[in-house]
Amino acid sequence: MAGLIEFKNVCLSMEDGRPIFDDACISLKAGERILLTAPVASGKSDFVRLIAGLRRPEGGALNILGVDLAVCGAEELTAVRVRMGFVFQENILISNLRVIENVALPLLYHLGQSYEAHMEAAERLLLRAGFRGDPWAMPGPLPLYVKKEVAVARALALSPQIVVCENLTEAMTGSEKESLCALLVDYHEAEPDRLLVFTADDAGDAALLRPSRRMEIRDFRFAE
Amino acid sequence: MQIFYRIGKNAIERIRVLYGVFRLSAVSVGSFASLLGKTNMANRIVFLRQIYFTGFEAIPIISWLATILGIVIVTQTLNILPLVGSDAIIGEILVWVLVREAGPVFASVIVIARSGTAIAAELGSMRISRETIALEVMGINLTGYLIAPRILGTAVSTFVLTFYFEGISVLGGYLLAGLGKSITFSAYITSILGAMGLLEVGVSLLKSVLFGLIIGSVCAYHGLKAEKSITQIPQKTTAAVMGSLSLIFSLNAIITFVFYF
Repeated sequence: MAGLIEFKNVCLSMEDGRPIFDDACISLKAGERILLTAPVASGKSDFVRLIAGLRRPEGGALNILGVDLAVCGAEELTAVRVRMGFVFQENILISNLRVIENVALPLLYHLGQSYEAHMEAAERLLLRAGFRGDPWAMPGPLPLYVKKEVAVARALALSPQIVVCENLTEAMTGSEKESLCALLVDYHEAEPDRLLVFTADDAGDAALLRPSRRMEIRDFRFAE
Repeated sequence: MQIFYRIGKNAIERIRVLYGVFRLSAVSVGSFASLLGKTNMANRIVFLRQIYFTGFEAIPIISWLATILGIVIVTQTLNILPLVGSDAIIGEILVWVLVREAGPVFASVIVIARSGTAIAAELGSMRISRETIALEVMGINLTGYLIAPRILGTAVSTFVLTFYFEGISVLGGYLLAGLGKSITFSAYITSILGAMGLLEVGVSLLKSVLFGLIIGSVCAYHGLKAEKSITQIPQKTTAAVMGSLSLIFSLNAIITFVFYF
């Protein structure tokens, strides 16, 4: 069975020429829950950027959902991105949209049904993510953890097949970690073809994430 | 030799900016039809919000400034009427000054001050805080969602505000400065309608739409050029204002020359 995410001899380097990935290979399949650990500045963010199509590999092939991101066009890339959900370390929320609008945005943009239906769906997603504040508040002043709840709700809005969380549990308390990890694990287990990828500095939260595979970035390559 | 290098570099940079602005305008105009359809609700919401902010919320300040300008122009015109000896010329003067020139330019200057600066600062801030990346990974087209609705919203608003400005300045000017003077209201209106032909309306429309497109495009272009530091936002906003003003005054002169020379 082909992986949903496949790195085949992927090479990537920094602006100054130092390598990030060198002939890196990995195959992440449907149903798997991956915990990818590596120390700070050793390629985790670049791994996420590659999967998101924000960077193209300098060598090798990078297949996501059957599409080679190294050579695909804009439309193919968009089609792939719609089937993925990302939770970035910085919880980037759209500052000029309200909390509920942040979550509804992918629905409004990609599905185009009634506005009310999408807003109700967004509200349900927020509640499921544990958000208990005012959904019509602006996101700027929200605490870090609440922003993370909103970011997770937004990432799950289109029911993506692949969910990638970058350093999800960073700067969170024990109960906060537990609640968000449980939500994501439940989401992953609801359908057998979903792939959930966590990146972290260390494997400290492995018990919460219960990964089916643990991987590391070592010497510019992936290691089990 | 150094001076030629600098002049050449400056010219190339300006051409590059003009090309970028033109490209943004062209792409936005091309996507206008899709904003009116039901296919993409998110883009349409941005478009309507831009019209609300740039057009609707500008009405009080536009009304105020248009009335003041109308008072000044009507007062001066009424002062020179005895020298000319004909009431009919008041319409000609007001149409020349307010409809042909001041309306489109003043409305655009207000749009630059209120909305152009906001567009440049907002897009610059979104770029620096990586919100544009968050949009991209959601499969959202930045031009279609972030840029085109703002540019088109600004163009539609500038068009409406220009005609509103012209109407208020002509009417408000008479009511506050001309009422009870040597010319009656009906003679005043007849004189203005007599001086205003299709050409005046058409050129005013052309100017307002083009100016709106330019303001939106220049401000979006400069805003999105902010990439590295938050200190770039005021720099890019200033560049957007200066660029918009330069282009609008230049284009105004060109259009006036082409149609009225």
